[in-house]
Amino acid sequence: MITRTLYYQTAALGIATILISSIIMLSGASPITVLDSMLSGAFSTPDQIARVFSTLSPLLLCACGLMFTFTAGLYNLGIEGQIVFGAIATMVPIRLLENSLPPALVILLAIAFGTAGGMLWGLFAGILNVYGRINEIFAGLGLNFVADGLALYLIFGPWKRPGVASMSGTEQFGEVLWLPTFGNTEASPVALAIALLALGATLLVLRGTYYGLQLRAVGYNLRAAYVLGVPSVRQLLSAFAICGGLAGVAGALQVLAVFHRLIPSISSHLGYLALLVAMLAGTNLWLLLPIAFFFSALNIGSLQLPLSLNLESSLAGVMQGMLVLAVLLGRGLSETNWLDKISVLRRNV
Amino acid sequence: MQVELQHISKRFGNVHANDDVSLRVEAGTIHGLLGENGAGKSTLVKILSGFLSRDAGTVLLNGQAVEILTPADAMRLGIGMLHQDPLDFPPLTVLDNFMVGRAGRWLINRRQVVRQFRQLADQFGFDLDIHAPLGDLTVGERQQVEILRLLSLGVNTLILDEPTTGISAAQKQALFAAARQLASQGKSVIFVSHKLGDVNELCDRVTVMRQGRVVGNLEIPASDAQLIDLIFGRQLAPPIKPETTREALALRLERVILRSDRLHIPIDRLSVRQGEVIGLAGLEGSGQQLLLQLCAGLLRTPYGTVQINGDEMTQRPYADYLRAGVAYLPADRLREGLIAGLSIQEHIALRYPPKGLLVDWPETLKRAQAAIALFNIRGKPTTKVERLSGGNQQRTQLALLPVPQNLLLLEHPTRGLDIESTLWVWQQLMARCEGGTAILFMSSDLDEIMQYSDRVLVFSGGNVSEPIEATKLTVERLGQMIGGRFEEASV
Amino acid sequence: MNFLGKSPLAAFPLLGRSRILWSALLLGMLAGGCATSTPTANTTSPTAGESPAGTTATTGEPFIVGMVLVGPKNDAGWNQSHYEGMQAVVQQMPNVKFEYIDKVNPADRPNVTGAQVADDLIAKGAKLVIFNSDDFKDDALETAKKHPDIAIIHASGDYAWKEGKNFKNQPNLGNIMARMEYGKMMAGCAAALGTETGKIGYLGALINDETRRYASAAYLGARYCWENYLNRNPDDLEFKVTWIGFWFNIPGKTLDPTKVADDFYNGGYDVVMSGIDTPEAAVQGKKAAAAGKPVKFVHYDYKNGCDLAPDICLGVPYYNWNVPYGEAIQKAMAGTMPNQFVWLAPNWSDINNPQTSMIGFLPGKALGDKKQYIDQLIKGMGDGSINLFTGPLNFQDGTPYLKAGETATDQQIWYLPQLLQGMEGPSQ
Repeated sequence: MITRTLYYQTAALGIATILISSIIMLSGASPITVLDSMLSGAFSTPDQIARVFSTLSPLLLCACGLMFTFTAGLYNLGIEGQIVFGAIATMVPIRLLENSLPPALVILLAIAFGTAGGMLWGLFAGILNVYGRINEIFAGLGLNFVADGLALYLIFGPWKRPGVASMSGTEQFGEVLWLPTFGNTEASPVALAIALLALGATLLVLRGTYYGLQLRAVGYNLRAAYVLGVPSVRQLLSAFAICGGLAGVAGALQVLAVFHRLIPSISSHLGYLALLVAMLAGTNLWLLLPIAFFFSALNIGSLQLPLSLNLESSLAGVMQGMLVLAVLLGRGLSETNWLDKISVLRRNV
Repeated sequence: MQVELQHISKRFGNVHANDDVSLRVEAGTIHGLLGENGAGKSTLVKILSGFLSRDAGTVLLNGQAVEILTPADAMRLGIGMLHQDPLDFPPLTVLDNFMVGRAGRWLINRRQVVRQFRQLADQFGFDLDIHAPLGDLTVGERQQVEILRLLSLGVNTLILDEPTTGISAAQKQALFAAARQLASQGKSVIFVSHKLGDVNELCDRVTVMRQGRVVGNLEIPASDAQLIDLIFGRQLAPPIKPETTREALALRLERVILRSDRLHIPIDRLSVRQGEVIGLAGLEGSGQQLLLQLCAGLLRTPYGTVQINGDEMTQRPYADYLRAGVAYLPADRLREGLIAGLSIQEHIALRYPPKGLLVDWPETLKRAQAAIALFNIRGKPTTKVERLSGGNQQRTQLALLPVPQNLLLLEHPTRGLDIESTLWVWQQLMARCEGGTAILFMSSDLDEIMQYSDRVLVFSGGNVSEPIEATKLTVERLGQMIGGRFEEASV
Repeated sequence: MNFLGKSPLAAFPLLGRSRILWSALLLGMLAGGCATSTPTANTTSPTAGESPAGTTATTGEPFIVGMVLVGPKNDAGWNQSHYEGMQAVVQQMPNVKFEYIDKVNPADRPNVTGAQVADDLIAKGAKLVIFNSDDFKDDALETAKKHPDIAIIHASGDYAWKEGKNFKNQPNLGNIMARMEYGKMMAGCAAALGTETGKIGYLGALINDETRRYASAAYLGARYCWENYLNRNPDDLEFKVTWIGFWFNIPGKTLDPTKVADDFYNGGYDVVMSGIDTPEAAVQGKKAAAAGKPVKFVHYDYKNGCDLAPDICLGVPYYNWNVPYGEAIQKAMAGTMPNQFVWLAPNWSDINNPQTSMIGFLPGKALGDKKQYIDQLIKGMGDGSINLFTGPLNFQDGTPYLKAGETATDQQIWYLPQLLQGMEGPSQ
């Protein structure tokens, strides 16, 4: 069975590669050059490498969070809103206490608030899903709009810069509150450590704990898990809360380590990207880190496409999407028993 | 329209659902189709209406051989089926449902459709609000809408599959009147039922099926004894259950009501003692499952009380039932009982919450190995349950039952198992009874019910019998009750 | 050109398996989020064929100038004027190589900041980096601090203005801006000369010092011409500002400028002035005019803006960015850091000279014979006889801005805290 899946997956990846290459060639470039320029765009200067890592941290956090909801059988498309609300919550202690508490304490509080904010937003989606019987996808998307709207309201309203009402965000806060970085780059060891810690915890919880086992049971078969005595509602809500919490940390990092203020698109769409990472990894947690790293590199490297090849940098998104689609398709097809299908067709004809 | 089926055969795996079945329904007649659970009636009418494809045989309409591969083929040829559970769209209005399935037109002249609907409804004396959402209608009214829809599509042969369960007496009379009217117009009606009275009242002829074959073809009227003899065709197996019943009550129900979309079954009182086994007999979907789920705490009763081992359990959450030692084994093992995707040892681990946060995998592995040995499961601790055979899945389910156990609720405990496994499963269950566990189980195998029950409840047509001692049951009595004749049988 | 940037809704076939279906939807959303269909940036340098051999180009490595553009380079507005200004510089200075990235904003490039783009441009060898939006002020400062040997120019900022409020004393950071308030006065004048209803709509971007300054200047120009050339009562002139929230439309985040322009035209505002980077005022005006409405527009930023709808164009105040950029590049090549605040007035003797005047004003066809009044205004402003920032002027809330006879200082003009009395619309 494993070899069969592997066979399909390899074939799927091959097809994805061919498709991606043809798209690149259709837009008038050579796939090799594109790959080369993306890789060099991601790894040729310390700044770029640092940027790959500073994108990796929130991406990995979100992907870890999504492993909890995926395990519980949920599609938490609300993760974007959870990042945004986490980022908004992060700003609260910063704005209130920036000048009255020691910076380290403010940063800690900010991360704690971000976590709690994301968790709250995740729980909202969960409550709508479990008690309101709204599909979690729609609940999540709805809450994304609400969180976005709230961020915009704050940026244009109560939190706007004096005399300014602009999409460009709130006033930057003092450098003492920025997370420390590696040298003069953007990568923060603190952010990276948090992300790796989250990855380790995710591995431990999902693989080793009774909670993780119950979560898997709920995800595979809600009804049977309930009949077997697993507290399903609690499991579902906690998966939402954990995912939201991790997304909230990601939002806090976006604020504290990357943008140093609240901007309207504070999530940088990393939540959606993390969904792709999580889908690509499937149930294999060990794949999270390499995939997230690869996607971060693609994202950062894609800036080179307009710069040196006159190509849209959204090509990176096309490549990522294509990969995920191909792998999912391969996985789906490998689970279908074609011999059965064909014989059923024959009998019916 | 004259309908003739010749030498129809259909297999599902090892089961011969239809074995060389031949049947002729003359135009202008109402033809009954009788048989117990699994006799092959449903398979036969599903083949005729295009929901199943036959393995062998011929279908003739007015003497012409036809191919029916899909329900749409059947409709084109004028064959329509009224399903036991209506295949309709409750959120849509009566009118919308009536219009569903009209082929070939982009634009529908609603006014014309309304006129047609009213005309048909008047013809049969159906009183229906055309603009009401279908979901607000009773089962009987929904049937009427479906019949009108089928007729408006030009049906010449109407198949009624167990249509009289869950509808009122008046609705039943209206239905029968409509069937007779259709027959008088030269159409043919096939009436699938298990109710002796209904068949005798409505049909012109009746065909009786047993174990996939036609065993009799009678003119109506026919006597109950004659029909029951054909339906069952044998004496029941004698009870072999050892005496395990104790004095103390394991379960006590008072004035509860089993409710579903189409059923409303009051049970005034039911007491089950420790160690006792109650078999639930009857056609599938007659309410046996509702009773099991009610006792398991998965369904609520609107009134009345549920007591388990003397503890008041009414309206308590499911988790409390689990703590009270109640276990429920669903028939659909992979949908409700086991978790496809998890292995045997992961199921075992779920059953034993650890003291800390982490699962003790070495300990779990030991437990799983012990369970596999004890319950004779063909699989490894790491085998995913969906890869096990049906018998081994059932063994796994049994292995997961906690000990001690006060009340065990089983749906089809041995369905799909070979004889050896069946015997083994009942051995295990009897051992539980020795230990004081009370068992309620439903089965479509009457022999199983007779052999292992202390008492039997018979479910039929929205009613449930008083508990009957298994030793006092005869095939005649059981057949009459399943056939809906409680009065005669209770004598 | 895709002005509206509406995301194309990606249609995926329903694949049956819900996991795949949802993934497909998700991918669709991602694609929708990323794909703005305008073609984008790249590198332009004097192509080998055109660069005259034997000139300075042969003296060695080209001097690379990098630019971070906030919007698309072909927006027929602010960004295009920057882009084409640099192209003009490259034409004249063959030794200069131009590298840029456009659409650097949170909507088009969600995971990219201006400072990051600058890092990459510098990694590619840029010795001078230009940020073209007020929004980049923090990025420009960050980049300047991080790369002290690179010349950084922030167009429209004030961090290098010693007399300004926000002076940062960063030796390699300079600001360049034009005194576009003059252009806006001409534009406002043209609007007043063009309106029949006496209602002028101003399609504003986000709200800050710069935009308040320009909207107010436009109002002053309009009122002056309304009163002095048309001899009308200034109280009869309506001047309404609607801010969309950013320099161009970001679906879902800003007001839709198309809709705002339509609302103006449909609401009796027969002249709409553009204060944003993109040409919705022109495009929607053209549609309204085609439908028989007697409407006109005043464009902004881009010299050829009237070409969008020549018949109803009242004129366009525009930038010649090649003027200051050429000079700054020359200085940088000579090793001088651009740590100055450059705020250039037009070359009053010939405001439309592309080599000497950073701002110009091209009157449109729709102005007809009223063009003479614009010329009068320009002449008056040029010789100093007309200074519209002269008191008495009040702020919108009635508090005094300039006393009678008092003229505004540079600081009072740059940091205009409110719109002026007589204008409708929020001040912040």
